[in-house]
Amino acid sequence: MRKTVLACMVAGLVSMSLGWVTHSEAQASISSADWTAYKEKFLDGSGRIVDDANGNISHSEGQGYGMLLAFLANNRGDFDRIWSFTRTELMLRDDGLAVWKWSPDTDPHITDPNNASDGDLLIAYALGMAGNNWNRPDLYQSATAIAQGISKTGLFQNQSRTLLMPGAAGFSAEDRTDGPVVNPSYWVFEAIPIMATLDPKANWSGLTASGLKLLEVAQIGPRKLPPDWLSLSSAPKPANGFPPEFSYNAVRIPLYLLRAGNTDRKLLETLRTGMSGPDGSVELVDLPSGTPVQTLTDPGYRIIPAMISCVLDKTQLADDLKTFKPTSYYPSTLQLLALSFAQRSHPECL
Amino acid sequence: MNARALLFGASALALTASGIYATGKIGDWSSLLAGNGVFAAQAQTVAPTNEKPKVDETALRYFARQGDQKRLDAEIARLRALYPDWIPPEDPLALPQQSDQSLDAMWKLYSEGKFAEVRKAIAERQTADATWQPPADLLDRLAVAEAREQIINASTIKQYDTVVRVASTNPSLLTCGDIDVLWRVAEAFAQSDRKDRAKDAYGYILRNCTNPEERLATVQKAMPLLPRSDLNTLFELERKAPDGTGEFAVLRDDLARQSVAAADADSELVIPQSDIDTVTRLAREEKLASDALALGWYYVRRDEPQQAEEWFRAAQAAEDSATAAQGLALALIDQNRPSEAEAVLYKWRDTNDDTKAVYMAAVSNLLAVVPPVPIRSEVLSRMVPEIVKSKDAAAAQQLGWYADGFNQFETASQWFATALSWKSDDEPSAYGLTLMRWKLDNQIGVAEMQQQWAGQSQRIARVGQPDLQRPEGQRGTVPMATYGPDQIVAATPGQPYTQPAYTQPAQTQVAPMQPAQPAPREIVRQGQPAAGPAPVAQAQPHGQVIAPAQRVAASQPVQRVAASQAPAQRNAGCSTTIDPSVLSAQSALNRGWCLMELNRPLEAADSFQVALRSLTGQAREDAAYGQSLAYLRLGLSDKAAVAAAKAPQQKARSVELNTALLTAQATGAFEQGRWTETIMALDQRAKIAPERMDLMVLRGYAFLKLRRFNDAERIFRAAAGTGNRDAQRGLAAVKDAREGGVN
Repeated sequence: MRKTVLACMVAGLVSMSLGWVTHSEAQASISSADWTAYKEKFLDGSGRIVDDANGNISHSEGQGYGMLLAFLANNRGDFDRIWSFTRTELMLRDDGLAVWKWSPDTDPHITDPNNASDGDLLIAYALGMAGNNWNRPDLYQSATAIAQGISKTGLFQNQSRTLLMPGAAGFSAEDRTDGPVVNPSYWVFEAIPIMATLDPKANWSGLTASGLKLLEVAQIGPRKLPPDWLSLSSAPKPANGFPPEFSYNAVRIPLYLLRAGNTDRKLLETLRTGMSGPDGSVELVDLPSGTPVQTLTDPGYRIIPAMISCVLDKTQLADDLKTFKPTSYYPSTLQLLALSFAQRSHPECL
Repeated sequence: MNARALLFGASALALTASGIYATGKIGDWSSLLAGNGVFAAQAQTVAPTNEKPKVDETALRYFARQGDQKRLDAEIARLRALYPDWIPPEDPLALPQQSDQSLDAMWKLYSEGKFAEVRKAIAERQTADATWQPPADLLDRLAVAEAREQIINASTIKQYDTVVRVASTNPSLLTCGDIDVLWRVAEAFAQSDRKDRAKDAYGYILRNCTNPEERLATVQKAMPLLPRSDLNTLFELERKAPDGTGEFAVLRDDLARQSVAAADADSELVIPQSDIDTVTRLAREEKLASDALALGWYYVRRDEPQQAEEWFRAAQAAEDSATAAQGLALALIDQNRPSEAEAVLYKWRDTNDDTKAVYMAAVSNLLAVVPPVPIRSEVLSRMVPEIVKSKDAAAAQQLGWYADGFNQFETASQWFATALSWKSDDEPSAYGLTLMRWKLDNQIGVAEMQQQWAGQSQRIARVGQPDLQRPEGQRGTVPMATYGPDQIVAATPGQPYTQPAYTQPAQTQVAPMQPAQPAPREIVRQGQPAAGPAPVAQAQPHGQVIAPAQRVAASQPVQRVAASQAPAQRNAGCSTTIDPSVLSAQSALNRGWCLMELNRPLEAADSFQVALRSLTGQAREDAAYGQSLAYLRLGLSDKAAVAAAKAPQQKARSVELNTALLTAQATGAFEQGRWTETIMALDQRAKIAPERMDLMVLRGYAFLKLRRFNDAERIFRAAAGTGNRDAQRGLAAVKDAREGGVN
């Protein structure tokens, strides 16, 4: 069949020129049992990842995570299902990016047409990986279109650095007095090289560099942690209108660094020290004072500093971290991402 | 190949929920969406081929076994359109049993609209069986169904580029069977500045789709989105019933209404008379307040206040409302009937900012009637609290003049002072206050004002000069003191000036800006909107290019005339100060001219007065001429006119003198804010001399002040045509006043 031949040719070209297919990706790094447990709790039949701790809404981030996890679980059926929902319900913006939020209880389900660039990155990344590894040109083409959309409306220059707008509206210097405002946890480091293969014209390597630089300079307060939202209008500082905290956004930053292969001991140790509470818990921190705002004990959070110890010091993960029992959408997602990484790159910690 | 396939080429037959099939021309839409905008119904040639295409009958079988006759019929029709040579099975229900249960399940999910789950099922089966290929039919239908969802979702959140983008890659979606998608795509074109393509898309529907309700709705949807010319094109696609009635007849009425509504909002807009006739007929037949209102606003914005009045009254009769009252008040003000306007709007005055503004306009106009007419005490007593409440400096000033008109100088002073407390830079009120103090013989008060306004107002500085003509007040019967501001204002002590609204309160006719409808928000308060630089200064542009023959500066109307035509024998010394009454008539005449040359017009006028005693006609004429010029130079045009009448003048000199006099009158009247008099003087002057460019500009500003915007614009436009900058500024000022609305 002509179509299939063409698809193979395209995919072949892509993998030859990019060389990003790893053999391990072709095999599942998330077990079928873990994925089943995850999707039974957080994926509904329509292909929607449900944020159960957040009014059962869905968002581009969740859809991107869902597609990435389905890819890592090598489950093509669920991948296509999640992508179908994402495409028809979120990929609506004129610039080709995803609207960020979908509410089950409103009509229309979309009430804010803005995007979230981490969601866009995750969706494009998962599409690119799946398209490439599964020889699916349709997915690959969609990934390319989103990558181009991100570089066109999401990347911007600030003081000779290439940065990532958190969303198309509301964060620039024109939009707010303390703008531009960025979210360091929107740098999905592992996705950025893939974007570079999808859209080679944009300065993606500059984006990686700027993200690392931000983590170096935005070590705020006695615990030297980055805030969720960072103002860059002058010296980096927590943005107005948000609590000046290391919180649910920034908590995933070490995981992103590790999954991208980063082993910068100084940076990772600083983050681990700053975020760790008693008994391996994770603390969300008021940055100016350094006092904890909340202590998190969900394995999905605790696995993050534990993974730093795994990578830096070969420390084994505790049993309850190795075992996946879905709790709520966000920490469970983080835990599966961490376990997948351990499975693929650090089996010695398991 | 059947006829339909020949005609339509690659057609798609689609299925709606209601089971109606319709033909859609993919070729049309492809070209439309691809960007060439051509929407011709041209047949596509299908490349002849010897190979019989393999027809996928999976769906056919599935629907047949489900007993879903509607979908079965649709599928047969679709396959026929795609494959003209294909012959459907004679008995679709007798088709051989399908043994592929997993594919059945996919079709079932598809028919339930669970597209994501179909995707999942396909991918899972392919994972399990790498050789299995889903039927192309299923994949195509799935893609179209998903695209449809995407289009509808994107359209709902106004992401019109996405709508067009997705439609362009799924043209088979665009069929009469799914009219909602067609509408959304057409709207996306219209809303993303592709009106031509929107017109083509709506036209496509009207040419191809047959459902009567949907055809009507198509035009209704196009109406707010397309310009009239495009709508006319669509109306040409109307189908007639056997009895001759058009299917869009009811929409033509709405179109006329929409047209008049658009003209209400834009006084420049020219609409077909047939639209006005239609709405007029509708208003008479159906007696809807909305139609009458639309006509009222239409006429009031076109300086036809009598017509407007008629329709606003009709609107009131149908349904009394603030809007109707507001429009009626405007129409009455335009007809110089401010008293009725005030009465009509009083009860609605607090409805919104617009009614307040128009009410205050009525009040100001009522107070500004010249000569003043007594206002009934109950009217006055309800107006005054409104003026105080709104801190309307223009109206307070008018109360001042009104009181002055009835020689209630003390009360007038209080009102002028009140106006100044609300608007400290209000020169006309300051002038009024100075004048009242002078009339009340309050020398200290006058000096105080003159010191305060030194360098800012010539006429304030001139108050108290001996030749000032004391305005003759008309004795009135209304006890103004009752309505003085002191008691009322005392209720709100120490309120600072907070209302910068009125830059140039008028002393005479003040017509409010006519509002846009149906958004009368645009209406203006009755005061003057900022109309650019001080118009008087503009009206006397000393450096301006004027045709040589007309080069007589308005402020110095006498010098050239005097130099060229005054008698020669005026070289006697006149530097000394003497009483001219001791001189002979001839000497006095000479001395008068001499003093004119020294620019001592006040003394010159006295000398010419003596010369008037001369027995010779020529000398008397010269003396009258001279005295007239002297008064003109003093700015005392009334006295100049009297002087000019003291002896008959040669025709040429008479024309010259009268021209100068009328020029001075016009500029003088303008300076004092008496716009109507300005225009009257200019009209008279225009009868004996061509109107100079600067005076045209003056006339334009007078019209602007009177809010006769069309007249102002006409004048400014004519003057601006010669490259006159002041006129161009005037045009801009008219535009601002029209649009700027609320101060």
